[in-house]
Amino acid sequence: MLRKEQNELLTQTGPGTPMGALFRSNWIPALLTEELPENDCPPVRVKLLSERLLAFRDSQGRYGLIDEFCAHRGVSLWFGRNEECGLRCPYHGWKYDVTGQCVDVPSEPEESGFAKKIKLTSYPLIERGGVLWTYMGPADKRPPLPEWEFATVPKKHSYVSKRLQESNWLQAMEGGIDSSHVSFLHRSDLNSDPLFRGAKGNQYNLADSQPYFEVVESTGGLYIGARRNAESGQYYWRITQWVMPCFTMIPPRGDHPVHGHFWIPIDDENCWAWSYDYKVSGPLSESQVQAMREGKGVHAAMIPGTFRTVANMDNDYLIDRTAQKAGATFSGVHGFAMQDASLQESMGPIVDRSKENLVSTDNGIIMARHRLLRSVKALMDKGLTPPGVDPEHQRVRSASVVLPPDQPFKDAAREALKVQPGVAHASV
Amino acid sequence: MLSESARMATAAEARFRIDAPNSKPRAVKVIALDRPSEAAIKQLAGSQWSNATFLTASSFAGTPGKKEAFSVSGWLSDLAGLTKNLIDEVSTADLVVMVATAGQDDQAASIIGEACGAKHVMTTALVLGATAGNDEALARTLATLRPHARMLVISGSDDYIADMLTALRA
Repeated sequence: MLRKEQNELLTQTGPGTPMGALFRSNWIPALLTEELPENDCPPVRVKLLSERLLAFRDSQGRYGLIDEFCAHRGVSLWFGRNEECGLRCPYHGWKYDVTGQCVDVPSEPEESGFAKKIKLTSYPLIERGGVLWTYMGPADKRPPLPEWEFATVPKKHSYVSKRLQESNWLQAMEGGIDSSHVSFLHRSDLNSDPLFRGAKGNQYNLADSQPYFEVVESTGGLYIGARRNAESGQYYWRITQWVMPCFTMIPPRGDHPVHGHFWIPIDDENCWAWSYDYKVSGPLSESQVQAMREGKGVHAAMIPGTFRTVANMDNDYLIDRTAQKAGATFSGVHGFAMQDASLQESMGPIVDRSKENLVSTDNGIIMARHRLLRSVKALMDKGLTPPGVDPEHQRVRSASVVLPPDQPFKDAAREALKVQPGVAHASV
Repeated sequence: MLSESARMATAAEARFRIDAPNSKPRAVKVIALDRPSEAAIKQLAGSQWSNATFLTASSFAGTPGKKEAFSVSGWLSDLAGLTKNLIDEVSTADLVVMVATAGQDDQAASIIGEACGAKHVMTTALVLGATAGNDEALARTLATLRPHARMLVISGSDDYIADMLTALRA
């Protein structure tokens, strides 16, 4: 349960809001690199943290993320001509470079210097790991570049997708750290999805549907451990990483790629659900990439040419009551991603947390809110950099491991929970 | 025409959600297992709670011969020092939260845990003081608590207890 004002504090991320300031302390995923495939390609509308922006790639391959609207008459520059190192408004020909600087106002004498007086808001846009990242905070507080491992491995070792989720970012993110729902909502997919099936760890999962949980604070966020009995009195642990404010990494299964998410606010009622898969030890196989493209694993099938999923609220998520009744799926919705999204969107755009009744197995969610609220306060009151901004906090891994019964998992699996270049994930 | 899911997920439709209480108060018993934890929950007890009871089992740690023969009474008390019977307390609880401090003698957890198991009451354990460098102390505490707590939280800050209890409507 959260009080109304706490709920508003955590769910509002527009300019001038405390939670918006926290998000603006980080590099966040803005769009896929493939959305700007070549120099002078068409610009792309991007809404992030309730700001209408436009991304484009100029004649020299530089990326820009600028205010969507021309400073002259408020025309959307999405209609602009991307030419000769700038984006030219089709209405009266005003032209902007990737920094938002106006470089040409045809109606004014060039010598007047008028163009130099016009500058649109702009944010840096850099490429890393198939993703274009932006930083929307104050220029003097710009942090080091993102160091998430999936974005630093060779290109063929990773696959990244994004989908529109029609809900506030927080209820989507909370689904990512809600370990106890897996035994219900996703139970039928563990042994059928090509990106999950066959792992030994699945047997532990299916043999014990009531795991014990441990939630432990980490420097950047939380470790959320789910514990089940293994052989010889040992414990099988699945340890999820949550790094503030919205990064999760799900524990791996067997030799399958490792996956996780970012939940990035578009505005207060929509977010981007980013999903990644990667493998340190080698490139993803063709069949794995094909499965991801088809929406298997944590990804989702898209309406071609869009980032909207084929199953969506307009078609009732293609719910299949026969499959639900037969036990083929628990909720009747197919696929991990849409099973989650359908329920999270059903809560409404921003769920009223004053009505909820959390139980003790929700401590991962409770602790995440606690840390977010504490960090927002520290940022607003003292200007303290939030956890998760430091690249050291980003060099983390999830793990699935078998450990002796009396050891704190964060110590016993210390090496497994951080990036070790060239060393595969600890996975059962 | 909008699908039912699309229509029902709008903010406009949210206005028609039933605005009535959807739960009854839950009885949460918060039990400190040792002296440092007792100090932490004494601070908490001064706040306003719906249905939380604060107890201490810290005297259990000093009970002589506790391993040979233990009693379910005599070592559990409220914060004013009034002795309480464990079975009575557990029987009227919806949730028992055990608060422990890393490295302390928290043997009472096993008796409380068994009583909760017998009465089918959910248990949560919260470990305070788990700072870097006291791994051995934490390991001892975890070994004691793990068999008896379905949810275990290791927090770096004491103020988490208050947030957790509030979130659980205690």
